[in-house]
Amino acid sequence: MDWQAFALSLRLASVTTAILLAIAVPLAALIVLGRGRWLAAVEALATLPMVLPPTVLGFFLLVLLGPRTAFGRGIAAVLGHPLAFSFDGLVVGSVIYSLPFAVQPLVAGFSSVDTALVDAARLLGAGPVRLVSSILIPLARRSLLAAIVLSFLHTVGEFGVVLMLGGDIPGATRTLSIVLYDQVESFDYAAADHTALLLLGLSVLALALIYSKTRNRGAGRA
Amino acid sequence: MSKQISGALFTLLFLAPLGAQAPLRVAAAADLEPVLPPILVQFEKSTGIHAEATYQSSATLTTQIENGAPFDIFLSADLGFPKRLIDAGLADSTTPVTYARGTLVLWERKDSRLPPPSLDLLRSPALKRLAIANPERAPYGRAAVAALQSLKLYGALKPRLITAENIAQAAQFVDSANADAGLISLTSALTPRLSAEGSYFVIPRDLYPPIEQGAVIVSKTRQRAAANKLLNFLLSPAIQAEFAKSGLTPVK
Repeated sequence: MDWQAFALSLRLASVTTAILLAIAVPLAALIVLGRGRWLAAVEALATLPMVLPPTVLGFFLLVLLGPRTAFGRGIAAVLGHPLAFSFDGLVVGSVIYSLPFAVQPLVAGFSSVDTALVDAARLLGAGPVRLVSSILIPLARRSLLAAIVLSFLHTVGEFGVVLMLGGDIPGATRTLSIVLYDQVESFDYAAADHTALLLLGLSVLALALIYSKTRNRGAGRA
Repeated sequence: MSKQISGALFTLLFLAPLGAQAPLRVAAAADLEPVLPPILVQFEKSTGIHAEATYQSSATLTTQIENGAPFDIFLSADLGFPKRLIDAGLADSTTPVTYARGTLVLWERKDSRLPPPSLDLLRSPALKRLAIANPERAPYGRAAVAALQSLKLYGALKPRLITAENIAQAAQFVDSANADAGLISLTSALTPRLSAEGSYFVIPRDLYPPIEQGAVIVSKTRQRAAANKLLNFLLSPAIQAEFAKSGLTPVK
């Protein structure tokens, strides 16, 4: 078992999920609380990464963030190295790739909060930050949990973006899904089975956790 | 009028596929992607057999054939993968037919700030990222590692190697300037795009074992005669001469 890759996948998923939460909570709140037609465009853009095949997304990022664009050169100047083939590069790719999986549950959760409560809070003088932290998040905890788990798992299972952007470097970009692919490609099916089992076990555990939480809450309310 | 159109559409969608002969399915190593398409067109012109190729790393194609992919002929970038299929009873004959030899080159973009491609470039500490194909499964990747080992540079360069899924992706990593240089196939370096964007240096042949590219006919094929025709076509003097122009070394 490649524990280095296992640790790398967990680290990538944790960092990505943390960044995604910081982006997705305000974004979802904006989509739900805001007014104006342009918000539909924002929501569409936030869902777009689901449409593109991951390898295509990875290729675009490789070119867009590469040293041949001014943007890519800017990043390289700040980091001291180009973004591709590095852990940082994978984080950028993963955040874009998993964005819909963080935003969608939150938009659904925030939308289901009673608008009367939101209006009442507004009348009492709550600003947008207070609205989100005291009303939306506590009442949509389930959706928040769903957003966290889905972003995390989607990043653990990410393959196409990493294949295009990663360069298969142990400890930096060789994630568990790449190891699994390498094992299959080198005809090492026994090792591939172990890796796949580990990935599956991890996912079942996380999903069972989220569903047991939502179940308990449903039972408590009844 | 509209009836005619819908009739034509009906024929096109449902009847035409029945009449058409199933194409000859070719599993081809990634280094053949720039070489094979015009050759398959010529093949169809001279024999009337329509062939369609799928390009992947030789290992990926081997896995696919092992698991029942409907290919008729396999053009590998080495002899090991076709042998593997023969040993498993999945390919005809007892030895793969060598149809060409591959050439490894060091390729670099013309706008690179590093020195032009040469063995000195490989020794330069300014070379931060060198792209190679995966040595576990791509024959050119294996040759790249062997060449670096012969030069006693493998240890020093190992942390700076960027491993691509196949030889085409290795070229793409350098072309997009994400890697400084790459050890790729001469067939890629000679494509119009890469020859316009960069320059190459042929890695001396005594530095790596020859990249013998072998072909086998997949045992499950229903088009053995057509597959054999394609194999003989590839070995014909005209096509061997064409190989030479596109960066493969003829075997005949």
